[in-house]
Amino acid sequence: MNINLLLVALAIVPCLPASAYGHRLDEYLQAALISLEKDHVQVAMRLVPGVAVSDFVLKSIDTNADGVISQSEQQAYAERVLRDVSLAIDARQLRPRIISMEFPRVEDMREGLGEIRIEFSADFPLGGPKRSLTFENHHQRAIAAYLVNCLVPRDPDIRVVAQNRSRQQSSYQLDYVQAGVSPIPLVSGWQDERVWLSMAALFLFARFAILWRQAHGPTRL
Amino acid sequence: MNFCSMGAIPNTIRSIPVVALIWLSATAGMAQTATSRIVTAANAFVSTLDVRQRQKVLFAFDDKQQRKRWSNLPTGAVPRGGISLKDMTPAQRAAAMALVASALSARGFEKVQQIMEGDEMNKTNERNGPPFGRGRRGPPPGGFGGAPPPDGFGGGPPPGGPPPPFGRGGNGGQMFGRDLYFISILGRPSEKNPWMLQFGGHHLALNITIAGERGVLTPTLTGAQPALYTINGKTVRPLGQESDKALALLNGLDESRRKQAILNYRVADLVLGPGEDGKTIQPEGLKASNMTAKQRAMLLDVISEWAGIIHESAAAARMAELRADLDETWFAWSGPTTAEPGHNITAYYRIQGPHLVIEYAPQELGGDPAMHVHTMYRDPTNDYGRKFTGQ
Repeated sequence: MNINLLLVALAIVPCLPASAYGHRLDEYLQAALISLEKDHVQVAMRLVPGVAVSDFVLKSIDTNADGVISQSEQQAYAERVLRDVSLAIDARQLRPRIISMEFPRVEDMREGLGEIRIEFSADFPLGGPKRSLTFENHHQRAIAAYLVNCLVPRDPDIRVVAQNRSRQQSSYQLDYVQAGVSPIPLVSGWQDERVWLSMAALFLFARFAILWRQAHGPTRL
Repeated sequence: MNFCSMGAIPNTIRSIPVVALIWLSATAGMAQTATSRIVTAANAFVSTLDVRQRQKVLFAFDDKQQRKRWSNLPTGAVPRGGISLKDMTPAQRAAAMALVASALSARGFEKVQQIMEGDEMNKTNERNGPPFGRGRRGPPPGGFGGAPPPDGFGGGPPPGGPPPPFGRGGNGGQMFGRDLYFISILGRPSEKNPWMLQFGGHHLALNITIAGERGVLTPTLTGAQPALYTINGKTVRPLGQESDKALALLNGLDESRRKQAILNYRVADLVLGPGEDGKTIQPEGLKASNMTAKQRAMLLDVISEWAGIIHESAAAARMAELRADLDETWFAWSGPTTAEPGHNITAYYRIQGPHLVIEYAPQELGGDPAMHVHTMYRDPTNDYGRKFTGQ
């Protein structure tokens, strides 16, 4: 974040025209709504830069400054947002993927009316009946006004137990329980790459040991 | 309530006979049900329109785009459907406002007028210079003195130069003012079949579904900027009760309940504002089942500020529904727990139940959040009356 640019943006707030009435001026509202399913999570983000910071935000989107937010610029910005958020289940990082994005016109953004919508989702590794989802958002933190909420799960088997947030809502932890899930899923770890790598290493080691023994004959004590 | 002072005198005088007829036809007969009264007023309004205007005002009941065409923002920023009071004759304005009045309670209609009048102040300030500060007293461009019947807000332009060419939209560059409120009708006004009345502009979005004798007001957005002003020597706070009653409830909680109600994080804006139809977030805060009888009564009183905007019989049915849900209703507060006397709170609060979401969100726009508030009123199970209409 260029703090000088931010200070300039804040300094111009009192000089803004009346078109600035009625909506956020000097903050970048970033509202996340989380939809929880047993096997995945979906996050809908609504990003609204206020008119005093919209030029600053726009520069980071319209990177070639041609006054149009191209498809590739949309994709690049959405991916940047995604890099600035983190999503984890039971302390294991998830790899969210973008499922949709919608960008306003540059003119609307300049007037502080533009609303960017980005949706992403991530699959869960199998887990037990008690789970904990964490969501962190550090995108444009110097100007951000964060909101994060969980929608009431559609699946009646899922029950939210607790929600905890940091003061500015940049960090969010959601604890929930789910019915119909075995308490200690024996195969859940199999989805972890580390388990597969360990097993492959063990297999190679065993194979190597067998070959070595064949080559050198039985050891006589 | 006073309608006359809301518009310029010449227009008022010209429109008195028409207004009187509309008012009489809309209210005649105590035996009339609320729905028949509203339908009569709707037909009276539509009959004043020419063909071109009717085409603009009337939409199909299932027009999903038009349903969602509402916002807290000025109409120059987010264009609405229908036609504005500005584009009506005094008689048409009177009929439009009589229709809105017929669907609302007296207090609800007064609230609507106060929100619109606040926007007229924005218009004055738009012309006169920079935004107002707390408690700035502006000259009354219209006023609240006088006697009914409604004159339809038919004011001429207030003194001052032409407005600066702000924004886009079709308002000739005008962003604010009591005449920049739009009305539309979805479906055919009927005592039996469902239809909708939409009325709104800056800081106001009324979505009223009429389905037989049922009336549904959700989703509805109210807002105020300035949230406090003086007109003809009278102090007006359009959403003052929403603020004061909630603060009284918070102050009426003992320490442990208060601790449950107060969220330990900042809520910067509405969570379920425009564009967030049909969503239900996980509730938080203090559950009303853990409140005393007095606290529960106070909570219902806060809720009534929104539920009571619609006409009395629909409001009574709605309050009965919300009373039955009370055990499962939550109250959550975020922000300062005190307010300057006579001013609105600067805290966010939310009331949420199985059939209810109310949000009160002061706006921090580099100015005084006590002077600018947005509120949202929803029934996630019945927004646009879909429970009764199937659409």
